[in-house]
Formats: sequence, structure tokens, C-alpha cells
Amino acid sequence: MLIELSGVSKIYNQGRANEVRALSDIDLGVEQGSMVCLKGPSGSGKSTLLAIIGCIFPPTSGRAAIAERQLARLPDRFLTLHRRETIGFIFQRFNILPELTVLENITLPLLPLGVPPKERRQRAQELLARFAISHRARFPAGQISGGELQRVAIARALINNQPIILADEPTAHLDTALSREFMEIMQQLKEAGKTIVIASHDPLVFEHPAIDRTVTIQDGRIHVP
Amino acid sequence: MAQRNLEKQLNILDYALSSLWRRRLKSLSVLLVFAAVIFLLASFQMVTKALSDKAREVLVHTPEITLQKMSVGRQEAIPLAYRDRLAGIFGIRRVVPRIWGYYFDEVRLANYTVMGMAVEEMPDGARLDTALASGTMPGPAGQGLVAIGQSIKKALALEGRTTFSLFRPDLSLKAFEVSGEFSPDTDILTNDLVVMNLADARDLFAIPAGLVTDLCVYVANPQEIDTIAKKISETMPSVRVLTRPQIQKTYQVVFGWRSGFGSICLLTALAAFVILAWDKASGLSPEERREIAILKVLGWQTSDILVVRFWESVIVSGLACVVGMTAAYIHVVYFAASLFRPVLMGWSVLRPDLHLLPRLAAGDILLTLAFTVIPYLAATVIPAWRSATVPADSALGG
Repeated sequence: MLIELSGVSKIYNQGRANEVRALSDIDLGVEQGSMVCLKGPSGSGKSTLLAIIGCIFPPTSGRAAIAERQLARLPDRFLTLHRRETIGFIFQRFNILPELTVLENITLPLLPLGVPPKERRQRAQELLARFAISHRARFPAGQISGGELQRVAIARALINNQPIILADEPTAHLDTALSREFMEIMQQLKEAGKTIVIASHDPLVFEHPAIDRTVTIQDGRIHVP
Repeated sequence: MAQRNLEKQLNILDYALSSLWRRRLKSLSVLLVFAAVIFLLASFQMVTKALSDKAREVLVHTPEITLQKMSVGRQEAIPLAYRDRLAGIFGIRRVVPRIWGYYFDEVRLANYTVMGMAVEEMPDGARLDTALASGTMPGPAGQGLVAIGQSIKKALALEGRTTFSLFRPDLSLKAFEVSGEFSPDTDILTNDLVVMNLADARDLFAIPAGLVTDLCVYVANPQEIDTIAKKISETMPSVRVLTRPQIQKTYQVVFGWRSGFGSICLLTALAAFVILAWDKASGLSPEERREIAILKVLGWQTSDILVVRFWESVIVSGLACVVGMTAAYIHVVYFAASLFRPVLMGWSVLRPDLHLLPRLAAGDILLTLAFTVIPYLAATVIPAWRSATVPADSALGG
């Protein structure tokens, strides 16, 4: 298993008056090269689960191993280092910085890694060509279309060749055609060996044939029908 | 590894530069205000330094010891006969009489400094001509001849003329002819000066024969100025003894006090700016929060974001420092510190047209940096910690 969660819980503001239990006793395994969809309504805990898989914060309790590394009690600094090497993120609304150019947005994850400018440009150009948006490289990201923006976000998630791709409600603000195109690209990435976890409650995503497994989250627990 | 780390720092610096460029309007306005504060502070510092240096340079030509008679706490004329009492003090090279007074020009509402000198008796009398831009110093035989400072020439609107008249106390007119003009380089002391021979000064101020305002004492060994001054004080208790180092110190204190007064006012402005910068750096717009959260999810450490903020502040304050100090240098050298002349030169109508050339010592530059850049860095980088600790998960949906 590339992602292995066992008895994972997450409590925000533990011990305080505003304590919130976001996840309870989650067991989840994701095999390398598979595509899993986390399904559930808003506030169900999908994003928290994605954040734990994405090494953004460790679980409050339970065991979480991502790419053979235990996350529990790992300091923030090491979580970040692990995230850099392992996880590529695609956000809701894609979270592209509109004032930066497409090229600058794609290469953002490489800056703290000390990748020289020439190599950064070269890697970004390869991805831009792969997603057919080379002509937009020097455009400010705020001036390109929704479909192009989506490809920029995917290119950014792949720039460091991480083995795991996490997508948080990626189709929430896309029309049907673009949602389909997104899932086609995800299918290609899966075929190329990437492990993909998508949090979504869009039927176009969780009913897509490339999805190997759909996990329903409800009130912070895995819901078994 | 070291190469990778260097590349990382260069990448972060590159990002900080692009971040400043993206917010160029805000960055430019902060830079301009900060540069203005540095310009004011550095101008004050440079002009004080230049004035002090200039005063020290020019005062080298003044007598080593000046004697004035005091009575009930006020200065009065000193008898020439006092020279005889000084004859017994070992180490005195020469005692030269001088008449020094002020002439108030009621038409121009300006005070002129009038000095009657016995140039022929002064040890370096012949060298005084070097202080002139043209002509010669008035000698004992040159009755009615004067050497004048640059502002006097302008105030009297002499232009092509060389003659003018001043009133005696009985309101009769005394005519003068300009025999020399002081060089602008000596403006700090000669700007409002009219030098004539002793007899003409005595006639102009109606000072009785046998009396002068000062006795200038020249000593054989400058190392012994203080010792000889002490001996004179002991010999003649009613005489005020002023040494050249004391006069130099007085100039330093006057400029230092005025500069300090101005600097305190400007430091208040700097403090207000720093508080504003702190306030601005403490607040975080939704766009900034989002950007930081995205960077953190993409693998940026809190320390990387702090380094970005640090570089942004260093670039803004460094540029502001270069702009402010360059502007201050231009202001002092090419515009004779016109903004601060009333504060530093007094409120006289005849203000010198100074040609100042401040020496840029590393210590002074470091002092300006310490008072400006360091508080700005502290005011912007410390609160940036709060912004850099925005949790990465705030970039994710609910």
C-alpha cells in the first residue's frame, strides 16, 4: 500500500471549548497506481482526510503511513519535506496565483528545492507541451481560460514528478466538458503509474470508469452502505 | 548541497523581487516615504558633519588666544596697555589688537560683522590674502579700504561699484572702498564680514584711542595654549580668555545641538513610519493569506516565507537608503542644504551661500542604517512571522 491509514482520528482545538472532531477511526489503504475517490457532503471530513494524506498535518491519533513513512508526531518541517517529494496537489478553483505567469505558477514548487532557473523552465516547458498550453507560458494566469487554468494546475502538481496526486473538489467550478477533460487527464496519469486520490461529490468524478474505488465519508467516518 | 542551498536562496530572492514588482504601487509608495525620511535624517547628519569640518578648517586661521575685558558680566573695551602686562608671560609670541563689532544696516535689516585688524602685526598676516577670492587685505596705510564677504557684496548691491558708506554713531557717513573679496570657501566665517584696518574700525565705531575690543595672543608653541591661557587668567582675572580649541568646540556644540534638535524631530517621523510599517505588516489581506497557504501546500516551509518577507524588506529599505542618502548628498553638495539652512545657520538675513562637501565616513553611513533600516526590518519581519504561520490547510476546501 502506498497510502495506509489505520484508526486515524483528527481533533481540532483538542481540549478547548471549541474542540471539533473532524475524523474518527478511519481505516483506508490505497494501492500504488490506483485512483480513489473520497465522496461525501461538505463538512464531512474529506478535506481533513486529504490534508492528512497530503502531509499537511499529522493525525491526532492512529497510524498514517504515506509512501512508507509514518506521519504521526512528525514535526511540521519534515511533513513539508515529505510533501514536497511525494505529493502533488490540485485544489478547488485550482488556487493559481493570477498575477504570476503560467510558467511561474507551474514552477512554484521547485523554488524552495533550489532547482536552477534553466532546469525549472525546461521541466515546465515539457509539461506545457504535454498539456498543449505552451503558447500560454508567458501569460498572466489570471488571463487564461478555465480549461487552460485546469491544465496549469495539473502541470504544477506534476512538476516535481511526485508519485501521489491529491485533488480537492477539482470539478466543483467546471462545466461538464471541462470536468470530463479533467478526468481524462487523470486517467492518463493513472495509466502512467501515478496514485490519485480525489475528494469530490460530483457524480462525473466518482462514477468515472477510471475510479477504482469510491470511499464515502460521513460525519468524519467511513460510511459502509 | 551548498550549491543547492545557494540556488534556493537565489530562487527565493527572485520570488521576493517578483512579489515586490507585482505590488509595485504599494512597494513604490513605501519606498518613497521611507526614502524621504532617510533623506531628511542623512541630510541633517551630512550637513552637520560638513559644517563642523568646515568650521574646524577655517578656524585654524583664528588667533590661538583671544582676550576680552569683562565688567559686571558684560564685555567692554580692553586697554591696549594690557599688552605690557602680558609681556612677562613666557611663551607668548605676539599680542595683536583687534576691534570686533556689529554694524546694523537699518535699510536692509541685516547685521554686518566688522573687524578692524592690524594685519601687519599678525604672524600669519601675509597669508590672510589666501582667504580672498580677489584683491588684497587692507593694510595700515590703506585708509578706507575693506575686504568684504560674499553676502555683504550682495546686500550692498555693489555689482560694478567698489565704494559704499556706513554710518558712524553720530550719523555722519564714512566712505569705504572694496580692496578685496573673501573666497566663498570661507563663507562660514566671512559671509557677513567687513575687514578694515584698526584705525578705520576705531573711527567707524568711535572707539577712543588706547582701547580695542580684543587682544589676540599668538603663542610660540601651540601645545602650550592651555598653559599660557591659564597664566593669563591668573595674571588678569578681569579678562575673559578664549582659546582656539574652545571656540572650535563652541561651533561643534552649536551645530551638534541644532542637528540634534532637528534629528529628534525627524526621528519622531521615522518612529511614526516604523509604527505604520509594523501595522501594515501585521495585517494580512485575504489574497496574501491565500498565497501563503498555497505556497505552503506546494512545499514551502514557514522559514522560506519568512525569508521572502525578509528579502522584500531588505530590498525596499536598501533601495530607500540608497535613494535617500544619494538625494541627501545632492541636497547638501549641490543645493547647499537649502532645506535646513535656517535651522543650522541661524535666522540671520545674511545667510552664507555654503559650498559644503561632506566626508562620507563608513561610521556615519552605518549610523544612518542603524537608525533607519534596522527598525524597518524589525517592524516588517517580526510581524511577518504571524503571516508565515498561516496553516497550509486553509488552501483546501471544507
